[in-house]
Amino acid sequence: MKLSLSAVEWHAGSWKFRADATFTPGVHLVSGRVGSGKTTLALLSARQLQPDAGTVVCEDIRSCTLSFQYPEYHITGSTLYEEAESYGVDPFAACARAGLAGRDEEDPFRLSRGELKWFQLTCLLMRRWDLLILDEPFSALDCRGKLAVCRAIEENRGGIVLVSTHEQYILPKTDFLWEMMSGELTLRGTLPDAISTWESAPALVRRLREQGVLPANLTRDDILEAACRMHE
Amino acid sequence: MQDARIRLIALVSLSIATFLSVTGALLTLAWLVLSPRPLKEAMKSAAFWVIILFVAIIATVTQVTGNDGISYLIRTGVIILLAFSVYMEWHPGEYLDLSVWLFGKKAGFDIGLAVEMSIQGLHEASREFARIRSALLLKELKPCIGMIPSVGFLLIHTRLMRAREQADLLATRGYRAGGSCCPVFRTSYQDKIMGFLAILILFLSFFPVRDIFILQM
Repeated sequence: MKLSLSAVEWHAGSWKFRADATFTPGVHLVSGRVGSGKTTLALLSARQLQPDAGTVVCEDIRSCTLSFQYPEYHITGSTLYEEAESYGVDPFAACARAGLAGRDEEDPFRLSRGELKWFQLTCLLMRRWDLLILDEPFSALDCRGKLAVCRAIEENRGGIVLVSTHEQYILPKTDFLWEMMSGELTLRGTLPDAISTWESAPALVRRLREQGVLPANLTRDDILEAACRMHE
Repeated sequence: MQDARIRLIALVSLSIATFLSVTGALLTLAWLVLSPRPLKEAMKSAAFWVIILFVAIIATVTQVTGNDGISYLIRTGVIILLAFSVYMEWHPGEYLDLSVWLFGKKAGFDIGLAVEMSIQGLHEASREFARIRSALLLKELKPCIGMIPSVGFLLIHTRLMRAREQADLLATRGYRAGGSCCPVFRTSYQDKIMGFLAILILFLSFFPVRDIFILQM
């Protein structure tokens, strides 16, 4: 199972996106500032955008999906029941898992953006995907929601999971770290070595790095463990 | 065309010229061909062809019922092409500058702000439509006529949400009415020529073709 972007280029006016990358099974974290090209990478990887140059090739990928930053774009049903059905999952189980038990007849637009985001991610993460692309999965979620998404991503291991985010505090257990800078995708490597070259690292990770302490991974527990080591 | 003031004058002149006569419409079409980039962009728009299709249907019915459907098709078609071409040349903040230049910092600022927000809304709606279409395809649902109400509702909902957020933002920043804006315009040599030609076309459209060209039998 492999997703390859070979010499891919995409232009929007004077702004240019460039990527030459191969994604294998595991969790790939793509970090980068707002406007660096993370959503473009997500759209190109899901083949929802045609590159101006280069090729996007999927090998042995039978199921693929993409979650947009704004959950409203995904709504096709007039009730949560219909909405969950459109993802091919059990509506009652999806509502219960998203903390919305007994509200399956409710209009999705009546939910807050945070509730809707968590419901939409729950529906997606209840299925197994060969290629799962999550564009800003932590936006609009509270701390508990973000941790739940991290757990669900870890449970979805087996396929290729592409998580693009500018989240600074709560991140999933990551296998490969990528960085998107001014439209160019760069592989920083596997954890924990990749942390030493991570330019847009969160403040907490930078502080640990300055003290010569590298966390084993990027989860909250790993950061806490490294912080404890700093004071030894 | 860089200068929004000349573009506005050209738009008004050419719209009147096109409305007045087929000659005016044909001369406007020739004027549009002189700046091919926005014309090409306009022709790429699916919305343009949908509107033209409706105009063509009305023109056919008009012609069949004994009226001048061909004249209607030419004049309306050129006006729509002109509108799309001018729209393609829009740059953010341009109509705010133009409105303040025309009507001052109070009413002008308010009108300009409303126009800018509307145009920005159109651009955003177009991007949102593309995202919704992608989301449908990802769910393996083929876009069909039956989905028009739900997609339309979704677009209206997102627009209303954005409008409320923008209103809150303006209120938080203390906006009540009017504002400070110093319009800056850049006028190129080409802008002046195009502006002059647009006014010339307006004058020529008042005369019948036989008065402009001396036809010898």
